[in-house]
Amino acid sequence: MKAAIGGLEKRLRLAGMLLIIGLLVEAICLLWARPLAFILLVCAGGLLCAAGIVVFLYSLVSAGEETPKR
Amino acid sequence: MHVPTILLLSLIVLSAVLIGVLVARPSVTATRGGKILAFLVLFLLPSLCMTMGVSSELERSKSTEFCLSCHTMASHGRSLYVDDPAYLAAAHFQNHRVPADQACYTCHTNYAMFGGFRAKFNGLHHVYVQYFGKPRDPIRVYDPYNNRECLHCHLGARSFEEGAVHTADPDLLPAVKANKMSCLSSGCHDVVHNADQLSNVKFWKGAK
Repeated sequence: MKAAIGGLEKRLRLAGMLLIIGLLVEAICLLWARPLAFILLVCAGGLLCAAGIVVFLYSLVSAGEETPKR
Repeated sequence: MHVPTILLLSLIVLSAVLIGVLVARPSVTATRGGKILAFLVLFLLPSLCMTMGVSSELERSKSTEFCLSCHTMASHGRSLYVDDPAYLAAAHFQNHRVPADQACYTCHTNYAMFGGFRAKFNGLHHVYVQYFGKPRDPIRVYDPYNNRECLHCHLGARSFEEGAVHTADPDLLPAVKANKMSCLSSGCHDVVHNADQLSNVKFWKGAK
């Protein structure tokens, strides 16, 4: 059970880190009004945020699987 | 900086701080409230921030400033300040016949279905060429300019429908409206940007 919680926390941390980096990229792109910023926002920021959300959703699904049935 | 951008940046900072709390103490998700918080800050807020960010950037990509931020477009930007009413782009820009802050987009978007999408797709191609390719010299529009883009504003306008030159020949206006005779390349309004001939022209003093 503890191992399952440890795995869940690890995935939540990873999701959080990916999302923070993605949001930072987005913030920089919003401040940097250049055409390249748009590409960076969609490609880097979007990808990082999407990856963070996927990891978070996966952590929810895997937490259900890892929790032993009573 | 625009107010929506400031609000969006505040939302991004708030989201990042809340995510930081979860990263530092993921054990809070053990409680019901923590789970709701995790869903809010790891799913809803980032999704909202990204949607608003992309929407904001798409809106910004319509601005004259955005289009002219590429070095290649500098001469076209200068052509907007030519002090000669024969210069079509300059006359439209200086007299606010098009919104001055969206001058490029207003004339160079396509007023048909998915026109805005196509303009943005072309914009992505421009960005690619700017950074990874070689822009054409001189720059040319992809397709011959369609009268539809002019008629989007001018159709039904008194100066267009009843103008002396336009009504002198009864066949002229139907041909223009059917895109059989180009407004630009048939010899009537053929001085548009002429960006390669700006060395000998006078510029408008009101230019910033």
